[in-house]
Amino acid sequence: MRSKIDKFLLIVLFPAFLTCMYLIFQWVPQIKASNPAEQIAQRIFYFHVPSAWLGFLAFFVVFCASVAYLATRNRRYELISVASAEIGVLFISLVLITGPIWAKPVWGIWWTWDVRLTSSLILWLIYVAFLMLRRYLPDGSKRANLSAVVGIIGFIDVPIVYYSIRWWETQHPKAVMASSEGSLAAPMFFAFMFSLATFTLLYVYLIRKRYQLLKLEDMLNKQFKEMEIL
Amino acid sequence: MRAAIAIVKKDLRMEFRSKESILAMWIFSLLIFVIFNFTFEVSRLVMLEIAPGLLWVAFVFSGMFGLNHSFALEKENGNLRAMALMPVDGGQIYVGKFLSVTLIMLMFEALIFPVFIIFYDLQLSLQTFKLIPVLLGGTIGFTSLGTILSAVAVHTRNQQILLSLLLWPLVSPIIIWSVTLTGMVLGGEITASFYPLLTRVVAFDVIFFTLSYMLFDFILED
Repeated sequence: MRSKIDKFLLIVLFPAFLTCMYLIFQWVPQIKASNPAEQIAQRIFYFHVPSAWLGFLAFFVVFCASVAYLATRNRRYELISVASAEIGVLFISLVLITGPIWAKPVWGIWWTWDVRLTSSLILWLIYVAFLMLRRYLPDGSKRANLSAVVGIIGFIDVPIVYYSIRWWETQHPKAVMASSEGSLAAPMFFAFMFSLATFTLLYVYLIRKRYQLLKLEDMLNKQFKEMEIL
Repeated sequence: MRAAIAIVKKDLRMEFRSKESILAMWIFSLLIFVIFNFTFEVSRLVMLEIAPGLLWVAFVFSGMFGLNHSFALEKENGNLRAMALMPVDGGQIYVGKFLSVTLIMLMFEALIFPVFIIFYDLQLSLQTFKLIPVLLGGTIGFTSLGTILSAVAVHTRNQQILLSLLLWPLVSPIIIWSVTLTGMVLGGEITASFYPLLTRVVAFDVIFFTLSYMLFDFILED
C-alpha cells in the first residue's frame, strides 16, 4: 500500500517542519509587548491558527464525504469521513490545548467562556460524539448511513453554534489576516503562511495514511469473515 | 400525511393509557428543582436570575426521557423494521414521531410550569403569555433534532448516554436563546432584541426540521 505520493509527502514534510521551527523560533522578529512572557507566548499563534484551520478543513471534508456517501453508497467515502473526523478532533484538541497555554500569561486565565473558545469546545464535542457513535454501532451499511446523517447535521450546526454565542463580548484576538488594519508584519505573515501550508500538507499525508489503514482493516475483516464461513 | 397522523394517534393513546413518559418527566423535573436547591444555596435574588436556566435544564434533562422512550418503544417490538417496510416516505414517519414527542413534551411543560412558579415565587402578568412562543419554539428546536438523533442512537448498545452526547452540543444554540428569552419574559424586561432572537429560534427550528425530514429515509434503511 506504500505509494510514491506518500513517500514524497514524507520527504517534503520533514524538512518543511524543521524550517517551520526555525522560522517561528528564530527568524520571526520579537513582538512588542510589555510582558516578556507574552512575547514568547505569541509564537504559539503559528501552531494554534493552522491547527484550527485544519480542524475546520477536516470537518468540511467529513461533511462532503457524508453527502457523497449518501448519494453514491460507496464505502470509500465512509472511510474518508471517518479518517477526516479523527484528524479533525486531533487538531481541534491541539487548538484547545495551545489556546489556554497562550491565554494564561496574556489574559491571566486559562479559560473564559468567550465565543471562539466555547464554540471550539462545542465543535470538538460534536465530532467526539460522531466518533463515539461509530464505536457503539456494529459495522455495516447501517453504521455508514447513521454516521453520514450525523456528519451532515453536525457540520450545518457549527456556524449556528458560533452565531448563537456571538453577541457576548469577545476577548479573543481578531482575525489579523482578515481585518482591515492588517497588523501582521511581512516576516510574520510569511512564517504564518509557511506554517499553514506545512500543516495542510500534514493533513493530506495523515488522511491518506489513515484511509489506507482503514481499508486494510476492512480487507482483514472480510477475510476473517470468509474464513469463518469455511 | 395519513401515516404521520396514525403514528401520532398511536403514540398519544399509549401515553395516555400508561402515562409513562409524562409522569417520569414530571417527577424528574421536580427532583432537579429539589437537588438544585440543595446544591446551590443562594439568596432569593440570585435564584431569580438563575431560574430561567433552571427551567430549561429541567426541560432538557427530562426531555431526554421522552426522546429515549419514543424510539426504545418502537425497537422493543420490532416496530422499527415494520415502519421501515411501510410503503410511505420516511419523512412521514419522522413527522409522526416528531409530533408525538413534541406534544408529550409540551404537555409535560404545561404541567411543570405551575410548580416552577410556586417554588420560585415568580410574578405572573399579562407579559407571561409571551413565554408561550418561547417555549413552543425552544421545544420544537429541541425535539426536531432530538427525534432524528434518537432514531440514530436507538441502534446502539448505549442508547441513552449516546443520545445526550449527540444532542446536547447540537442544540446548544436553542438552549442559549431560549434561556435568554425566558429570562427576559420572567424578569419583565422585554428588550428590543426579543423578537430578533425569537426569529433565530424559529429559523433554527425550520432548518433542522427540514434537514431531518429529508435525511430520515437514510436512517430507516437497512
